[in-house]
Amino acid sequence: MADKQQQVVVKRARHKSSVKDPGTPGVLKLTKDRFTFMPNDPSSPVKHNVEFRTIKGHKFTKDGTKQALLNLTQDQGGNYIFEFENFPDRNVCKDFVASAIALSGEAGRTVPEKSAVPIQDEQLSAAEMERRIKLLQEDSDLQKLHKQFVIGGILSEAEFWATRKKLLEQNYSRRPKQRVALKNDMWSTKPLADGQSNRVTFNLTPEIILQIFAEKPAVRQAYLNFVPNKMTEKEFWTKYSRAEYLHSTKNVIAAAAEAAEDEELAVFLKQDDMLVNEARKKIRQVDPTLDMEADEGDDYMHLPIQDHGLPRNDNKDVLDSQYEPYRRSFSQHLNQHAAVVLQGRVIDVELGDTRSVAEALARTKHAELAKDASDVYLDKERLERISRMTEIEDLQAPRDPAVAPLSIKDPRDYFDSQQANAFSTLGDTVSGAKQLKCSVSTREAYCSLKECISEIKFQGLTEPTINSEVAFKVLNGLAQNISSNKYHLGRNPNESVLDSLPKITREELLLHWSSIQELLKHFWSSYPITTKYLLTKATKLKDAMSQIYPKLQEIKESVQSDLRHQVSLLVQPMLQALDAAFAHYDADVQNRSARSGERPNGF
Amino acid sequence: MKFQIEDVTVYFPYDNIYPEQYAYMVELKRALDAKGHCLLEMPTGTGKTIALLSLITSYALSKPSNPIKFIYCTRTVHEMEKTLSELKLLHNYQLQHLGPAAKILALGLSSRKNLCINPTVVSAENRDSVDAACRKLTASWVRELAAENPRIPTCSFFENYEKSASEAILPPGVYTLQDLRAYGKLKGWCPYFLARHMVQLANVVVYSYQYLLDPKVAGIISKEMQRESVVVFDEAHNIDNVCIEALSVSVRMQTLEGATRNINRMSQEIDRFKATDAGRLRAEYNRLVEGLALRGDLPASDAWLANPALPNDILKEAVPGNIRRAEHFLSVLRRLVQYIRGRLQTENVEKEGPVAFVASVNTQAGIDQKMLRFCYDRLHSLMLTLEISDTDEFLHIQTICDFATLVGTYTRGFSIIIEPFDERMPHIPDPVLQLCCHDASLAIKPVFERFQSVVITSGTLSPIDLYPRLLNFNPVVSRSFTMSLTRDCICPMVLTRGSDQLPVSTKYDLRSDPGVEKNYGKLLLEMVSVVPDGIVCFFVSYSYMDGIVNSWHETGLLKEIMQHKLVFIETQDVVETTLALDNYRKACDCGRGAVFFSVARGKVAEGIDFDRHYGRLVIMFGVPFQYTLSRILLARLEYLRDTFQIKEGDFLTFDALRQAAQCVGRVIRSKADYGMMIFADKRYSRHDKRSKLPGWILSHLRDAHLNLSTDMAAHIAREGIKEEGSQMIIKVAVLDLSIACDST
Repeated sequence: MADKQQQVVVKRARHKSSVKDPGTPGVLKLTKDRFTFMPNDPSSPVKHNVEFRTIKGHKFTKDGTKQALLNLTQDQGGNYIFEFENFPDRNVCKDFVASAIALSGEAGRTVPEKSAVPIQDEQLSAAEMERRIKLLQEDSDLQKLHKQFVIGGILSEAEFWATRKKLLEQNYSRRPKQRVALKNDMWSTKPLADGQSNRVTFNLTPEIILQIFAEKPAVRQAYLNFVPNKMTEKEFWTKYSRAEYLHSTKNVIAAAAEAAEDEELAVFLKQDDMLVNEARKKIRQVDPTLDMEADEGDDYMHLPIQDHGLPRNDNKDVLDSQYEPYRRSFSQHLNQHAAVVLQGRVIDVELGDTRSVAEALARTKHAELAKDASDVYLDKERLERISRMTEIEDLQAPRDPAVAPLSIKDPRDYFDSQQANAFSTLGDTVSGAKQLKCSVSTREAYCSLKECISEIKFQGLTEPTINSEVAFKVLNGLAQNISSNKYHLGRNPNESVLDSLPKITREELLLHWSSIQELLKHFWSSYPITTKYLLTKATKLKDAMSQIYPKLQEIKESVQSDLRHQVSLLVQPMLQALDAAFAHYDADVQNRSARSGERPNGF
Repeated sequence: MKFQIEDVTVYFPYDNIYPEQYAYMVELKRALDAKGHCLLEMPTGTGKTIALLSLITSYALSKPSNPIKFIYCTRTVHEMEKTLSELKLLHNYQLQHLGPAAKILALGLSSRKNLCINPTVVSAENRDSVDAACRKLTASWVRELAAENPRIPTCSFFENYEKSASEAILPPGVYTLQDLRAYGKLKGWCPYFLARHMVQLANVVVYSYQYLLDPKVAGIISKEMQRESVVVFDEAHNIDNVCIEALSVSVRMQTLEGATRNINRMSQEIDRFKATDAGRLRAEYNRLVEGLALRGDLPASDAWLANPALPNDILKEAVPGNIRRAEHFLSVLRRLVQYIRGRLQTENVEKEGPVAFVASVNTQAGIDQKMLRFCYDRLHSLMLTLEISDTDEFLHIQTICDFATLVGTYTRGFSIIIEPFDERMPHIPDPVLQLCCHDASLAIKPVFERFQSVVITSGTLSPIDLYPRLLNFNPVVSRSFTMSLTRDCICPMVLTRGSDQLPVSTKYDLRSDPGVEKNYGKLLLEMVSVVPDGIVCFFVSYSYMDGIVNSWHETGLLKEIMQHKLVFIETQDVVETTLALDNYRKACDCGRGAVFFSVARGKVAEGIDFDRHYGRLVIMFGVPFQYTLSRILLARLEYLRDTFQIKEGDFLTFDALRQAAQCVGRVIRSKADYGMMIFADKRYSRHDKRSKLPGWILSHLRDAHLNLSTDMAAHIAREGIKEEGSQMIIKVAVLDLSIACDST
């Protein structure tokens, strides 16, 4: 009916807050990813601009009924009701909306068309939604699973995410986005000279310009002052390059002579006063335990010649003091460079535009210095740091482990592999294992480990503590195990058995493995069955698993004989895990029917 | 923990104690009991400072009837801060266990520059200008004037402090410089003068060496310390050098020009006073006739640096008649400056003793020895009379008078060396006259005499029998402790060959060899790719470091190094170096990793710790010998040979190796720490050099590690880090478990 090629649909409609509402007349405009509603009366507050992404579904009245309505339900529970002048208009919009919703669902989250389980739809905030979408976009495996089960109707949206709370929370704490650091690469001032002519070429890229601006505030300032009023950008950089060239020749006198003739050039050649001022400000913030500048205050011996026999010959090549400002040491440059790299990319500006880069840098610098002046918090932190530093750690009873949490994106990646192993071997006892007390607090875990260690210490008095070789071997063994598990999972593409398999088989295996994992997780978590809902869920899961089961068999048989053994080794634990689940299910059903015989009321 | 050493209950703020700390305390206590001096060497990384602090404070607590004062001298201000924060920790612990009885007053003392809180004064650039700016606001004559004329600026903090008079005291506690400033701000009192005043009453005083060793400073600050004091010189391996420097003066052309300007200015002032207030000059003359060089009690704000000669050697006589009159004194100074200028015109290097010099001054300028000796005090008196407050302008004439007083006072242990140019740059005339002291025992003698116990301690005092000879004292206890280790927390290696198997060295003939430079660069490159976190490199001099870093830059080696870590470098500008260090630490903290290039004998090597992740590896490029062609050094060597029968070679090696040991010792702070040390020079493999290293390094130096090449060293480093890393893994595993427990 609707033209699929149509990109925009504009129709007259009334927006109604409820079906009874007379509504606000206006224009509804639908595009591929959003719809907007503009009321005819511009002063009316009823304006809408909504993305289809947030629209979960649409309802409409039948052709020929009293009103031509279209109701778009938002996932937060809100809805938009539009009344059209006639049904054909409505139908065009309806079809467009349907395709748009489907489209946006494909891109991010797919709309669960029919909620298979009668579970209350969660009230999700837009932020929550966004987080989920983002997670799905970042992790293609997750997306696959999501598609398979949620869209496939085996799991509900809520169920799917319930097991991933941690993942969501982690993202919730909103880590600062990782930024690309600056390259630790000094712009080597070595000019490219082509042997024949006297021309020397310098190459400047936006990246280099950013670096120059960050490292040399005076150049940045000069740029802001000179360009474009006094000279063009090109002239500016030519001049700068000239100055660099003079420095690279290390001819202080020539530099001074040129600077005397050209005051703009002099800006580049002289020492950077802004840096000096900045340093003076920064020095007040420095940790007093390494503030060497303070020593000068106590140095009453005016003895420049000798520093415990260290010859200070560098200030001996005394030239006239007029050249002093033109001397620039490589070390200074080195320190400044490293400091800038350490600070990282402080601005978020497109690199192409030189001027905005310069301005942004100047702004951040300014703000930073202003902040420094009056930061009590910094002071406190510094003091804390010093007191922490003074303590001799191994004489002290350990404090709270002073460590930063590791940034493991998904700890399950690491631990589930072992758990899954445990599943496959433990088989039926798994439900028992689940009751293990797992909620040990960090503190408790730490304490118990500490106890163990001190015990070892105590017993180890007679003979030296653990033999480091043995410890190393054990750890190695453990790590080995982990990594082998890893490749069991196939996540590690390096030198694993999987590599030898044909690509299709491998991918299929991986897919099955992760879906089995997901299903099993939900399956076991629905035991013990206490409600009808859980029962249906378990049944559904079991059915889904039993569908995979023959597929696995198929894979096993489909591969060539030389690989068959390895594949069966891979498939075996999966099958075992499934078998265990089936067995448990059957036993449970039997139990249940036996019991329900006694108690017809069910649960 | 709390324990007994004989009759003293020692309060130690940690749950455990290293055996050598205990042994150290026992020895220290014996020395205190015997009221004698002692010499103790204990490796770095064994908690020497806290052992010292806790024993001495506990000792003082145990003898409340006869309280001893504790004077702790550090080399640098930042060490002072470190010591005070350790003391804070200890004090809190003692308060917990003893209650108010444990209350003590402990404070650090530094110059106005580090203590002043008056924003107009402290913004001045260096110490001298801060001092002068302070004097301009607080000198007695300025305040008298200000009392009449309110438009003359004074310092509100100083006025408030003066107003509160006897109430202005610090409550008990431990005060770092920062705390003093904060307290001063709170009360509106000048922290500097408050601290100066409280030093007399405090139980523990932490300040710089120079406040005791330099007679100029000691004369005003430490004059009234009681005999029942324990004086500790920590990190004292260089104490002989500090002693020598305290009594050395150098005069250049600029000094003479400045001095001439100063004299002219003073003579103008004299003329002005003659016209307006002649009585003042007469009063000064009368006072001098009565035999008082200085007016008895000066207000603290007027006090200038004291006499450069040692207290016992200052003549207690009336100022000679011919310099009592101000203008006569000025003409004496003029003649002296003229004479020195004449001496600087020389074409050749000249060296003579003080006696010959004084004789020649006498014959050529007509200034006798006694006049020379009084120069300093006479100048001081004149400047007070002339009410000169911008003392920073008068440093030059002060230097001349320092020189005159010293040369007039001492006849042995000094020599005067005049060099027309620097040995290495003969084409640039840069004449300098140096009065250098050779005898370290001179400056420290009054300290040994005045105080009942003096403790000299450091991580490197090997060979320990040399120090009593150099400083000329008899310790009641002299011991060297070794480190008890449950694991190898240091891993020293001697690297003799580069990656191409050619020898590496900073010996003169090999020094600028591009092959050696390349090999050193390759070594560093290997190491930065293997070792995590911080790496420190020490070079033998600034010029060598600049040269080699530049050549690494040109050959692209530096670029490759920077692929792995950030690079920071020590410069002669302390502000810059401090910021570089701060950034270095930040880089190590955030896991980026960094390399710090530094200079042996430099300021960083002297007092900055590179413990834990701030220094997993230290590389000593070369043997840090002194510049052996220096005349001053040669003169000192000669003096040592003649007086103490110490061979030149022995002394030079001893000196170089103590510096090297000091440098590498920076990487370890406690036994939980781990650090590797590479001595990169073929000369370290020789027994006569190596054996001068302190025992705690030698005991870890395996025979297999004595003659390594770059690849072997890299292999050892890799293995070492791995082994150390496996211990780290345990830590990480603990962490992982905790995460796991959280997530399930």
